[in-house]
Amino acid sequence: MAKRVVTMNVNGTVHSVQVNSPDRLIDVLRDHLGLKSVKEGCGTGDCGICAVLVDGKLVNSCLMLAGQCDGRRAMTLEGLLDDPTMKKLQASFVANSAAQCGFCTPAMLMASWDLARRSNGPSTDEIKIAISGILCRCTGYYQIIDSIRQGCREGEP
Amino acid sequence: MSEQVSLLLESLREKAERGSLLYIGENIARIDSLEKVLGKPVYTSDLIPKGTIYAKLFHSSVPHGKIKGMELGTAKAHPGVLGVLTWRDIPGLNESSAVLPDRQLFAESIVRSTADILGAVVAETLASAADAAARIKVDYESLPAIFDPLESLRPDALRIHPKGNIARQMKIRKGDVQDGFSKSDVILEKTYRTQFQDATPLEPEMGLAIPEDGGIKVIGSMQSPHHTQAAVAKVLKLPPEKVRVIQAVTGGAFGPKSDETPFDVCSTAALAAMKYRRPVFCGLDREDSMVMHTKRHPFVISHKTGVTSDGRLLADESRIVGDTGAYASLGVFVIVRATFHTIGAYEVPNVKADSYLVYTNNTYTGSLRGFGGPQAIFAIESQIEELARKLGMDPLEFRLKNMLVPGKKSATGALMDASCGLPQCVEKVVTSSDYWRKVAQYRNQTGNIRRGLGTALLMHGNSLGPEGNDYGAVHMEIESDGTISVGTGLTEYGTGAVSGMMQVASSVLGVPLARFKLERPDTSKHRESGPTVASRVVVIGGNAAFKAAEQLKNRLVPLAGELLKVRREDIVIADGVVFDRHSPSVSISWDILISEAYRRGIGLREDGFFMAPAAPWDLKTGQGTPYVQYTWGALVVEVEVDTDTGYYNVIGVHAAYDVGKAVNPGGVLGQIYGGTVQGLGYAMMEELLHKDGFVVNPNLADYYIPTSMDIPSEFKAFIVEVPGPLGPFGAKIIAEPPIVLPAPAVRNAVLNATGVSVDDLPVTSEKVLMGAALKRSSPIQGPPRA
Repeated sequence: MAKRVVTMNVNGTVHSVQVNSPDRLIDVLRDHLGLKSVKEGCGTGDCGICAVLVDGKLVNSCLMLAGQCDGRRAMTLEGLLDDPTMKKLQASFVANSAAQCGFCTPAMLMASWDLARRSNGPSTDEIKIAISGILCRCTGYYQIIDSIRQGCREGEP
Repeated sequence: MSEQVSLLLESLREKAERGSLLYIGENIARIDSLEKVLGKPVYTSDLIPKGTIYAKLFHSSVPHGKIKGMELGTAKAHPGVLGVLTWRDIPGLNESSAVLPDRQLFAESIVRSTADILGAVVAETLASAADAAARIKVDYESLPAIFDPLESLRPDALRIHPKGNIARQMKIRKGDVQDGFSKSDVILEKTYRTQFQDATPLEPEMGLAIPEDGGIKVIGSMQSPHHTQAAVAKVLKLPPEKVRVIQAVTGGAFGPKSDETPFDVCSTAALAAMKYRRPVFCGLDREDSMVMHTKRHPFVISHKTGVTSDGRLLADESRIVGDTGAYASLGVFVIVRATFHTIGAYEVPNVKADSYLVYTNNTYTGSLRGFGGPQAIFAIESQIEELARKLGMDPLEFRLKNMLVPGKKSATGALMDASCGLPQCVEKVVTSSDYWRKVAQYRNQTGNIRRGLGTALLMHGNSLGPEGNDYGAVHMEIESDGTISVGTGLTEYGTGAVSGMMQVASSVLGVPLARFKLERPDTSKHRESGPTVASRVVVIGGNAAFKAAEQLKNRLVPLAGELLKVRREDIVIADGVVFDRHSPSVSISWDILISEAYRRGIGLREDGFFMAPAAPWDLKTGQGTPYVQYTWGALVVEVEVDTDTGYYNVIGVHAAYDVGKAVNPGGVLGQIYGGTVQGLGYAMMEELLHKDGFVVNPNLADYYIPTSMDIPSEFKAFIVEVPGPLGPFGAKIIAEPPIVLPAPAVRNAVLNATGVSVDDLPVTSEKVLMGAALKRSSPIQGPPRA
């Protein structure tokens, strides 16, 4: 198994990590850097709960090899805990009972934050599309959608 | 007095008037919501310590066969591998079963399904364990196999287990069906079939075992830690107290995590940890989880139903066959619940039901949200719809005529009392869906795009009833800083029920939920509280929490009376302020009261225990009161179907559930939305396909569950509150029921839109199209065409 060093900016800090060739981005984030908000639900890119931002784009971190991440910037929920938009979204998720088992919640929040950057008052359809790659088995999505709608509104606390 | 102070006093006065309903019915944030939105490392796989090794289970590759030999040398020699565990490595009992001792942890000589586990490879990394497991060769002598439960019932069928192929039988005898049929004007006989459904919690099953003080600590994703403790102890041949099981935060469960798979992963991890004296993680990947854990039973249900020409149900005879796969699991109780619900929410004077839980060589089935209810209600609600059409009567009118209301009797002869809120549920959904206007409007549709409404009604027995003693134990302790610590063997796995249970205690004590903390369920600290199943946490656990809180309050109120020089009966606690109900400014804070209690040595630890009243029924006739109360519900869905392609969409959902009292309405709505969408998956798209005993689609690319793009754009949910006798404040259960009705409602809506009866789930576009094509080619039954 070939080893190599990957240097990437994760949550604003540059890390150099020695990885094995089959290691995926999710392995680097969870196992090397201890960023446990990133969850694995299938390992085949179908459930989306490992979603993180890479160079500002939402990706399934189980489908990206660590080697592909050299020189890139990754962002996980841990990196956004002080971000005002994220805080608003989190408060909205709590108020709307949008987190049940919580296993998809970090990915849902990442997708919501990504949407909030692009749109102040997204429509229900825009929200549905934004989270369409992330499965949730508990909520039926309605309370998540309400949370995102409220959390994306500008000017409200 | 400042304005702020007078506002506070006014609010306390108002809360004192609310009395026992303080905080009940409020959308208070769940106790565990913060850790979830912060992405905290609280799930089993987040807790793996350094130095952990990995166990990868490997399973059978034939549906039925004798194991002649296993070639383990290649796997053992694989880099990083420490060893391979098989049945020979089990010091105790080789058993991993919930009820009947019919299933081994690691198959010894015979495999009965492709889900049968043969052993586990233990390695330094998960990758080496998985690579090595793929290199194991097993030599089988293939045996003939049965995949059809009806074939398994034949007297000459091969025996899958030594005691025969029927794991459980059950019957109902009420009145005289022959008499009922002889008086009927219309008799309809039909058979309905349901499919394998996978629960698909987003977190698969996981166990982490760590050697500890001559015993073992197991942390895992599960519903019932005490049952897991017993299962692991049996395998390891250790006294149960040497096995400490802690439930980690659990990423969804829906039933299979109360069944046998948590035993498998925890026992395997524990076995390896004892052998190698290192922490061991045994977690299933998605494919292994979908192959190895229990699914929803496929059922074949036949109904023969007699009705008068003016639409009165007189008799129903049903035969219910459930395919439990190779092992019984909790299926022995699933079949009982299904049988008790065989005629659903209707009064039928003469009922005969015979049900059989049968073994096949399919992968095994067991506990899954609804627990037999979804299959039984799909069949009877489809039958009711067909009967109404045969009578030429509107299906809602037919339902209204026969449904259970106070004063009527269920299939078991139980008399419905004033706590039956079914009529109120029906009224909500009929009004919300604009039922009568739409039915008239859709009567003479032309063209290929057709709309239709489908209705289904629910009764869902609360309490474990026939499944065993229904009890809960809750330990509550007030710490010196006023924090209220709650510990129980009942578990949270997503629904918010434990938070709801604590909200009950918060109401009793008058202290906000934010001042409470929940201990992780831990067998070394918490009493056995029965399994966390059957949506029973708020109702049963809530009563136990109520008692514990009341006992604590009874110790604190006399002290408060003494400190405030106020009569005990005038002491009120609300929002953490202890005050005189007649004069709220005469007050002290909760924290001061508690520190005074500590100073005086007043003990502030209490155990609340609650046992549900007996629910007696007769084994020979199925007659009696198998449940202490019922949850009621009504669902109307509207579909739009393209008859040229069979493609259809659910465009509207109107759901009403009588939950007695919604302790936390936001949480209740979450169960209604989530359960309905999971039920729509079951109705429309979900089917774990088996071919010759192999699961064809054990992954989330080929097994579809609803995404955000699949949910109906209109969803109106209503909470009806007709108090029941069992739960705190009249609460009834809600987590399971909403999954039940979507399947029959969708099926009936498609029927009303197209004239096509789909009698086997799921109602796929292919079946609708095939049905429509057959109708078109038939000169008699063709629906009107443009």
